[in-house]
Amino acid sequence: MEKKGRKVKKNVIAYRKKCKANGTGLSHYVLLDKK
Amino acid sequence: MHQLNHFNSGDGLQLQPIDIGHRDYIGVISPDTAFWALVRKEQFIRTLSGSPLLHKYYRKTEAFGEEMETLRFGLKPSAVYFNPTDRCNLNCSYCYIPKSLRKNGKHMSSRKLLEALKILKIYFRSNLPKGQKPQIVFHGAEPLLNKGAVFEAMDKFNQDFRFGIQTNGTLLDFQDIEFLKTRGISIGLSLDGHVPQVADRLRRNWGGQGVSQKVIESIDMLRGYNNYSVICTVTKENMTSQVKMVEFLHRMEVPTCMLNPVRCTLPGSRKHKPLDIDIAGYYLRALDRTYQLYQKTGRKLVVANFANILIGIIAPLARRLMCDISPCGGGRCFFAVSSNGDLFPCSEFIGIKKFKGGNIFRNDIRNILETAPFKTITGRRIENIEPCSRCAIRHFCGAPCPAEAYGMNGSVETRGAFCELYAEQTRYAFRLIADNKTDAYLWDGWDKGAVTIFKMTKF
Repeated sequence: MEKKGRKVKKNVIAYRKKCKANGTGLSHYVLLDKK
Repeated sequence: MHQLNHFNSGDGLQLQPIDIGHRDYIGVISPDTAFWALVRKEQFIRTLSGSPLLHKYYRKTEAFGEEMETLRFGLKPSAVYFNPTDRCNLNCSYCYIPKSLRKNGKHMSSRKLLEALKILKIYFRSNLPKGQKPQIVFHGAEPLLNKGAVFEAMDKFNQDFRFGIQTNGTLLDFQDIEFLKTRGISIGLSLDGHVPQVADRLRRNWGGQGVSQKVIESIDMLRGYNNYSVICTVTKENMTSQVKMVEFLHRMEVPTCMLNPVRCTLPGSRKHKPLDIDIAGYYLRALDRTYQLYQKTGRKLVVANFANILIGIIAPLARRLMCDISPCGGGRCFFAVSSNGDLFPCSEFIGIKKFKGGNIFRNDIRNILETAPFKTITGRRIENIEPCSRCAIRHFCGAPCPAEAYGMNGSVETRGAFCELYAEQTRYAFRLIADNKTDAYLWDGWDKGAVTIFKMTKF
């Protein structure tokens, strides 16, 4: 779980991650495929 | 530097501020690339005046643009939503499959189902990279009305596909669940409330009787299995119970759920549509509750439709659901096969003949994907939809869904039913990012294989 009560607020928060795109779900179903 | 000094004009960076409803932070978004930053309010002017943030983003604009281009136009189908029967043993009033089909439709025979999967196997073998296993999701109507054919197909093609099934859960017995669990099948169940008085309001059999108790028995039998989810369709009849619903699902140790606003594709569903402002309030409180439950127990109940919005912000390519990006996944990430072999961009279109692209037994799938019905959906760009073309969060929402837009407005080039709900979800997601709470709302390991390509926390 994450730490609570971060005291110093960052001036800016900006980040982005990248991976291979392979989404195939839709609102009627989400493929979880958890091992 | 010219572009930096003159953002929002000519070739300069596009930046739109958005109020995320946070005490300390305001959002800045570059809509076309889905770049975002949260900036302390007192730093806002400084941020827009050639700050290091803009310099850093400027160097990434091309890469981020290419990423969005890949996500929106560069993917190939790798999944099929397969209806092995038209029929359903339930008569839910908001269903997107026409009543006549659900009541009087046909099963696909076992022989034809196996033949269809053989065709799909050959198609995917020549259209997907080696080693990538395509997905077959048995869907409905109620696929377990044709249980024998479905289970036979799962066994005969278990080396060729990853299988999933979305079922109303009323026909599952202990043996069925063992069959699915031992094969690692991804299972989706449907339940609209925490008690029968809520859950049975709209989900009933043809005799008018509620079925939630049986679904709950199925959920109980799935306890401990991590590869299943529960979909709750949220209407004006059950929207006030969303907090109770997540409490119930968490208590039942359900790992993942979806709280989906009712799709308003067919007239029968529209009478159950809640107002955005109403559904959003209860929905966000339910999300708050999942956070509290996680803090209290250390166990998550992931609300997948919200998690997907959050992931779409943090890592656009990592999104799992393809409804809330434009074009949506219909016809380009997946397609749907009806019980007679007809192909549609998505199962949401199965009741609308105009969107039939061909038939799996008579036409080449590659040609079907190029037909006008499919191109209408794969070519639906949010840039051509008003007011979405001006909206800062257009790539976190995608103006879903084209079938719904067509049903409601007669044109896919219009927005769907829940614009403000999406905006509220996005603001909520940004507030979580500002407060460093995102992990509590996402699957463990959701970013496995992902790399950080941009990070900034100070000027």
